[in-house]
Amino acid sequence: MDKKKLNAKDFINIGIFTVIYFVMFFITGMMGYIPIFAVIIPLGLGILGGIPFMLFLTKTGKFGAATIMGTLVSVLCFLMGQSWISIPFGIVFGFLADLIFNAGKYKNWKYTVLGYCVFTEWVIGSMLPMWIMRDTFFAAYRNNGGTDEYIDAVMNLTANWMLPVVIVLGVVGAVIGAYLGRATLKKHFVKAGIV
Amino acid sequence: MKPELLLSVDTKQRFWLDPRTKLYMLLIFSIVMIDGKTDGISFWLKPVLSLLPFLLLLSGRRRKAAAIYLSVFCVSWITNLFLLDYLGTAAKIIVSLLTQLGMRWFPGAMMGYYLLSTTKISEFVLAMQRMHIPEAFIIPFSVMFRFFPAISEEAESIGNAMRMRGITGKKFFKNPQAVLEYRIVPFMMSVVTIGNDLSAAALTRGLGNGKKRTSICKIGFHWKDFALMLVVTAALLVFLIFSGGLK
Repeated sequence: MDKKKLNAKDFINIGIFTVIYFVMFFITGMMGYIPIFAVIIPLGLGILGGIPFMLFLTKTGKFGAATIMGTLVSVLCFLMGQSWISIPFGIVFGFLADLIFNAGKYKNWKYTVLGYCVFTEWVIGSMLPMWIMRDTFFAAYRNNGGTDEYIDAVMNLTANWMLPVVIVLGVVGAVIGAYLGRATLKKHFVKAGIV
Repeated sequence: MKPELLLSVDTKQRFWLDPRTKLYMLLIFSIVMIDGKTDGISFWLKPVLSLLPFLLLLSGRRRKAAAIYLSVFCVSWITNLFLLDYLGTAAKIIVSLLTQLGMRWFPGAMMGYYLLSTTKISEFVLAMQRMHIPEAFIIPFSVMFRFFPAISEEAESIGNAMRMRGITGKKFFKNPQAVLEYRIVPFMMSVVTIGNDLSAAALTRGLGNGKKRTSICKIGFHWKDFALMLVVTAALLVFLIFSGGLK
């Protein structure tokens, strides 16, 4: 069988690690319901998702795995009630991450970190309504009895300049998560013979 | 041997729906219910629509979940619409966040719970095959299906074991690294093992050999499916036309 192509075992690993990654996302996402913390979601996701994602990469070092994972995570997000915008984001960023991983043959550490940074940015898709659908988003808040001072506070906090900040936070979180993941892999999984 | 022992379809389940119908309803719910509007047509549309998961959960004999769902939704809805004005600013923010969660996110989540808890995996796989979804997505999806319940069990056991060693969430700020490491690492270990087991199981079932699979399950649309689809589609149309659309 072709070693480069994904087989049934890889698909199963993708499924399992998608669940774990999604749980990590869910933990950080719960904080996002408090709008003030919404901006640090990418940071938390990058850090928490690091360990499972690094393990995932060592288990399925093949082209396409990250694309499928990105798609599945974003579809899950959509089904859990996020905006549909996250689906194209999941597909595109998953694919970009795959391209980067592939350039490093899934072994080169620099490419791996870079790829994981790109992968983490898919979460912007689930946060995007705050910016591009600003009016509807905050009109909904107002309808639901949010006071003006509160809405102003949130609007200031999520001003347009916050978007690059969120992206940078995602990268920072991903770098921390990647190193954390590598350290954990070395400390535990390699020793136990799992990787 | 009785035929129902061989069939994976639970014949005792009185109100059987096609997995595709359930998926479709979930899809509509995550479009309509997640929207925060409560004025105009939404004031009538949403409570009516949110009764649907309640009835479905009842029919799937998930009485406890149905009761919890209904009470949470009613409390959120009533609080959000009628009681918020009487609260002070700080209380208003917190309460409004909680009720938003209860009335916007919870119905969709309960729909998802209904889908997960009342559908057999083989039915689900077959339904996805009928929808011509590539195998690259069917296999991970069916694994996820199986894996969501397992994950909480694993996490619970690890939590218990760690409590015995005195590593609990309370001590998180004393030593966050240990709390994270001692929880995530054993979890990952068991996950990898489960993964190996599942792939062995999948191979014996002929997943991933590239051939078309056969299935013993019978799925198909009945009048109930069409009726429910009609109801949710009507709800979606009403929502799109009278409520200003998606945006």
